[in-house]
Formats: sequence, structure tokens, C-alpha cells
Amino acid sequence: MMALTGARPRRFSGRLNPPAAVWVVLLLFCVFALAVPRFASAGNLENLLRVGSILGIAACGQTIVLILGGIEFSFGASAALASVVTVLALPSAGVAGGFAAGAAAVLLVGLVNGTLVARFSLPPFLVTLGMLMVAGGGAAVLAGGLPIDAPPSDAFSWPARGRVVGIPVPILAAAASFVLLHLLLAHTRAGRLWYLVGANGTAARLSGITVWRSVLAGYLLAGAFCALAAVILTSRVASGQPGLAPNLPFETIAACAVGGIPLAGGQGRAVQTLCGVLVIAMLNNAVVLLNLPVAYQQLMIAAVILGAVMLQQAPRLLLLLPVRPARQSEEDRS
Amino acid sequence: MTRTAITRQTRGDPGKIWTLEVSGIAKNYGATCALRNASLRLRPGKVHALLGENGAGKSTLVKIVVGAIQPDRGRIALNGVPTRFAGVRQAIAAGVIPIYQHLSLFPHLSVLENLSAFAIAGAAGLRARPALVPRATARAWLDAVGLDCDLDLPVERLSVGERQLVEIARGLGQRCTLLVLDEPTAALTHDETDRLFGVVRRLCAEGTAVLFISHKFDEIEALADDVTVLRDGVAVIDAEPLASLSRAELVRAMLGDMVESGERALPQPGAPMLIATGLMLGPAAGIATRPADITVRAGEIVGLAGLVGSGALELAAALAGARPVAAGTLAVRGETLPAGDRARAVAAGVGYVPADRHAEGLFGPLAALQNASSSTVALFSRGGLLRPGGEAAALMPWLRRLNLHPFQPERPAAGFSGGNQQKLLLSRNLAVPDLRVLVVLEPTRGVDIAARETIHDALVEAAGRGVAVVIASSDLDEVMALSHRILVVRHGSLDGELPRGTGRAALMDRLAGRRAA
Repeated sequence: MMALTGARPRRFSGRLNPPAAVWVVLLLFCVFALAVPRFASAGNLENLLRVGSILGIAACGQTIVLILGGIEFSFGASAALASVVTVLALPSAGVAGGFAAGAAAVLLVGLVNGTLVARFSLPPFLVTLGMLMVAGGGAAVLAGGLPIDAPPSDAFSWPARGRVVGIPVPILAAAASFVLLHLLLAHTRAGRLWYLVGANGTAARLSGITVWRSVLAGYLLAGAFCALAAVILTSRVASGQPGLAPNLPFETIAACAVGGIPLAGGQGRAVQTLCGVLVIAMLNNAVVLLNLPVAYQQLMIAAVILGAVMLQQAPRLLLLLPVRPARQSEEDRS
Repeated sequence: MTRTAITRQTRGDPGKIWTLEVSGIAKNYGATCALRNASLRLRPGKVHALLGENGAGKSTLVKIVVGAIQPDRGRIALNGVPTRFAGVRQAIAAGVIPIYQHLSLFPHLSVLENLSAFAIAGAAGLRARPALVPRATARAWLDAVGLDCDLDLPVERLSVGERQLVEIARGLGQRCTLLVLDEPTAALTHDETDRLFGVVRRLCAEGTAVLFISHKFDEIEALADDVTVLRDGVAVIDAEPLASLSRAELVRAMLGDMVESGERALPQPGAPMLIATGLMLGPAAGIATRPADITVRAGEIVGLAGLVGSGALELAAALAGARPVAAGTLAVRGETLPAGDRARAVAAGVGYVPADRHAEGLFGPLAALQNASSSTVALFSRGGLLRPGGEAAALMPWLRRLNLHPFQPERPAAGFSGGNQQKLLLSRNLAVPDLRVLVVLEPTRGVDIAARETIHDALVEAAGRGVAVVIASSDLDEVMALSHRILVVRHGSLDGELPRGTGRAALMDRLAGRRAA
């Protein structure tokens, strides 16, 4: 419990204090706008957001799992499974049916994750890592090991390329996801229970909370966010790919961490995740514009992510100052 | 480096120099003061018992003696030589050998490898492949503790008692000056205990000093020569011969001798509210128990009192549905509740404040208000949505009434003092609509005087509203001041009932297991 009373004042979730990551977003935006040609053009920014929207939607799911004190590794593989299932179901079920089948596959993975974690008290790290392999393996088996192309159609590419009132559908979907996440976390009973369960599961149980139900609901909703991301991703690649988005879970975790959400559980806000996603989306976009070799792209992204996380969680470390020992409860004797 | 000097001194002049002299020790953990002014003086060749209730600072003092933590103030001298151990390894090298309640052997390794563990730990880096202790030497160490077993047997195949002997044998190899036995008999059978005591006595005869920590008076009387009692981080009995003290005097020293009880006016009890029938703690509690029947009436405060390890806290927790039981039923105003199901219990109006605030009560990073509202989220939500302002409306009056200080409901709970954290846990339960039963463990442990008064007032007030209140506390003054009647718990079972106004001495006698008052 000493770790919980760290030196950094933590804010009440659900209030609209800007998280520290906002400054990282602004700083990075200014630097890239000045230093990277074409970065600040309207066309590029739209492209940046459209690419980042998939990460953003999945990160909404990751946020819920992190608040619950868990972690979700199976996102990428379940998105891959969804793409394969969607394309395989297309001929018989049509476009809408295909997407529904793919989304159902992701929800199923979330249900298994949630059941194993909530009802059998297995460690989320191992459960979701296992499901990453199960879903990835399942996708490979279904696809016969090779990507399968979807027959091109306007309806199929609408989730990734369509526009509503001039705004790309993925950006709208991501915006809706963040609004929904915020409402869930700050204004619903389920969201409140996630915070309580994540902060101290035993205390939650002794308070009369049915912990397993809350955990299961959390993983299911996380799966729902991932399902939406998977639909857009499948539409964009227009094929079923067993190896689709292998980095998705790690990028979502990085986004949450950059936003300042601790992995210890019980803390985190939608706006933090949004900031983290924007940081990573800008980075991904800038390294492409700079035309850096792929290896340098990765190193640069890694450096910025680690720097942002350190700025969030241990600012003194970043300035190479000695880290103060964690304070104990403050003394307020009356 | 000092080892040879120490040995020479011990041999040259036994009896004149304390084997271990610890004085004026203070240790703070943040704002919590674990030790104020502790001292400990051990004679060579004698067994010294260290007594104290939970939270008295015993384990902190033991950790300082074995070098696991550093004191803030005070001095330590081993055989007259001022010493400061930088870590457990230095302490072991100087001959201070700890034997813990939780064994520190490597279960998968053989007896021989375990006996060689200190040598392996001391080996430098990766270069040297540490040598095992020669078999003959190992055999001699085992002989010294009267253990005859295969050196190549994995330690996990030995009984707990045998493992403890292996630990002691390992200590002997280090030229043991001071043996620290921390509740060594907790997991031992009667025979194993006898055997251990035999070994301890033999070691003493050779001049080793023994620090013996135990809650069992019978064992202390059987083994110890001297005794030190800690209370609130101070040595209230400082290295006195055990023979000069009665058991009641020891208990009084442990629990404190403060103002007599009985000033507070208690409400008149009404109809039975909580009825527990045939309640038995499971083997998980580590105690064999007899079934307990407990009835608490509306407006009544019942105190469960027992020494550490008596099961009083566990029994009280079971009454709130906070832990599973081996047998028995709970009923609140006729409604039967499944044991160990807090969700059902809360729905039936059963509140619970756990003994361990941090591990089981608080949501450290969350706001004080959210901590207080965790049992009543349903109260201020409608259709799954939190009603704006509903939480504050439901909880703020309670936080004001209990005088939360500083009054910052948005501040994380971890940032409040112990007393105010306790107020949050109490508000959590007082806010439960139609509260019928309130079970509070250690209502004011680690809480300052002002908060203690506030909390006591709140408990009496709750009883005044017709709530059936159960408290279990190691603070006897608290139990005597608040309870209509006191149920004595020993060995996980009820051992009689004492009415309000029972004297302190009589209560202490009963807790220590003596019938005569």
C-alpha cells in the first residue's frame, strides 16, 4: 500500500483535469509541425487520425482491462481471427453477416478471457497470452496458413474508407468509442465497480461487490471495443490475414502507459488513453513522412514512448535526479 | 572479522557481558511509530522471552536484531562490542542466527545443500563454485541437534519439526552466538516441540543465548529464564527474571493498564437481530474449534475478546459473512444468509470493517468519497448510471458527522491518517440503508485518541439506532468500555461470557485461560 501513496498527487477519476500527457501531445505536435515537412497539412492529419483510429478503439478496451488490474494481450490475434472469419463468412452471410461473424469471434475470445480470469482467478497475463496463441493459431488453421482476399465491394470497404458528413468512418468510430469509454468510466455503476475492483479486489468483495461479474463484464466490453477495431481493420486490408496486427496489444498498452495509466489497476481515464493514442499515432505518422529506415522508425518510437512513460510515472528519473522514497500516509492528526 | 574477538570474550568472561544488548531503539515507518524506546538484554546461556501483542513492535525489534532492517535510533552491542548489521548476512556472520516461523530452507534442495546455504550465499560472484560443507561436518552439526537423517534427502521430505532442526544445525555451523526463535512451535507437534526445547537447552548449556518469541505462555514458562515485554514500541518489562512475574502480570504488561471501563452509557438492547448457530471456523483458520452459538440483539454491543491467535477476529469476521466457515448458519432477523457471501450479507444490512485496513479495506488510490461509498453504489445509481450528486448526498453527511480531517473527500484515501481512514471504512457501513448488523474488527488499531473517541461514539450511536454491533479488539479497554457483554474466545471457540462491568483483572485471567476470578 505504500506504493499507492507515491509522491505524485493522483486525481479523482472522472474529473476533467488535463492529464500530464496532454503536454506531451502538444509538444510533439509542435515539434513535428515545425520539423517534419507536410506533417501539419489537413490531408496528413486526417490520414494520421484515420490510421490511429484502430489503435484508439482497441486502446479503449485495453483501458478497461488495465483499470481492472489486468492486462490484455490477445487483441492482435483476435483481430486477425476476426478478419479470417469475416472473409470466410462473406460468401454465405453477406457483408454485414461477415462482419458480424468476425466481431462475434472477438467477443468470444473476450468471453473466454473474462471467464478464465473472473471465475477461475487465473492471472490475466497468462490467460490473454494463451488466448493470443489460441486465436492466432485458430486464424491460421481457418485460413489454411495464407491470407485470403475478400471480393472487392463498396459495402465491404465502407467501415475503413467511407465517410459520413465528410468525416471518415474510422475517425467517427474512434471518437464515439472515446466518448462511450468516458461515459462508462465516469458515469456508470459498472465503471465505478471496475475502479473499486482494480484498486483492491479484497476490499471490493468485502464491500459486497460481486467481483467476478464486474471482471467478466470488463473483459467482454474490452472485447467489444476490439471487435469494432477488427471490423475497420479487416475492411481496410480487404482480406483475411492470420498475421494481422501482431503489435496491436502492445501498442494499446503503450498508449495507456504514455497517457499515464499505471498498470497497477484502479486508475485511468479516457482522456489519458486518448492522449497516449495521439502520441503514438503522431509518431507512427512522422517516421513515415521522414522516410526513415524501418529499424530507425522502431527505435525512435521506442525512445519517445519510454521517455513519455518516464515523464508520467517518474519525472525525476527523466531528469536524472535521485528518486525519492515513497511517502507513507500523510499525518493529519487533529 | 569480529567473530574471533567475540568468541574469545564469551569464553573468557561469561556472565559479565550481555550477549546482546540493545537499548533506546526507535523505528518509524513514515508517520507510524513502530518502536519508541525498545531495549533487550540477553545473558549468555539463557533463554529470553520477548512478549507483546500484535503491533507492539515485536517483529520490528526482531528484524533489527537479525539485521533485516536498520533502526532510526539506538545502539546494539554484541558481546559488548557496538555493532550495526548492514544486512542479514552480516548478522549471520557475527553469529546471530534467525529461525523463522516460516522456514527459510530450500525445499527442493538436499539437507546437505541446505546446510551449506550460508557458505554458498557468502561465495563471491560467479567465479568460485561454492563448496558444500564436508559430509562429516554436516553430520556433526546434525548430531548436535539430535537429528539423524539422510544428507541427500530433499528437505521437503522432512517433517516441519525436522526442518526446523536442520535450520538450527545450519546455524550451529556458523558459530551461533545468539539464536533467534520466532514462534518456532507454531507448526510443531507436541513431541517435536519437546525435541526442539531439548536442543535449545543443550545449546544454552554451551553458552548460546536464545531469543524466544512466542504467544504460548505454557512454552514460555517451560523454557525461558528472562522476559522482556513490549507495548506500543516501549519495553514495559525490561529483561526481568521470568520467575519473579506471574502470568497475570505479564498479560497486564502486554495489554496495558489504563483507565477502568464503564463511563459510556449504552442503549437498551431490543429483540434478537443476528443469530449464529453452530458456527465453526474451518481448518483454514488453523484452529480446531467447537461450534459457537451467538445471538446479538438490536441495540446491543457484543465484544469478542481473545489473545492473539485465539480466533476472536476470525469468528467476528465469520459473523459478517466475510469468511467461509466449516459449519453453522447465520440469520439476520430471520433471514438466513450463506456464510462467506458478503454481497448477500450487505444486501441484508450486515456491515463489516476488517482488521487490516490497508489489505482488506481501503481503495488507496481512489478518492475518500469513493472509498466511503463502495458498499452503497447501488443506492446512488439508477438503471446502471450514477446519479449526479447522488454519491455526495448519500455520503457527505456521514463524513461530516465522523469529522473527516482534513475534509477533502476528493483526496485519495491513501493520503489520510489511520484514524481518518478508519472513519472512511465506518462511513461505508453506516451509510448502508437499513443497516442491521455492524461487525467491526480492531475498531481503533493505530488510531489517535481523538479519532478513537469519534469512532467509539459512532459505534454506540449505531447501537442506539437499533443496529446489532459486534466488536473484536485486542484492545481490552475498548472492549470493556463499549460492550454490553464480552464473549471470551480461546482456541477458536467461545469460552464463556462476562457481563459489563467485569474487572480488568478477571477478564485478563479468562483470556489467559484461568477460570478462577
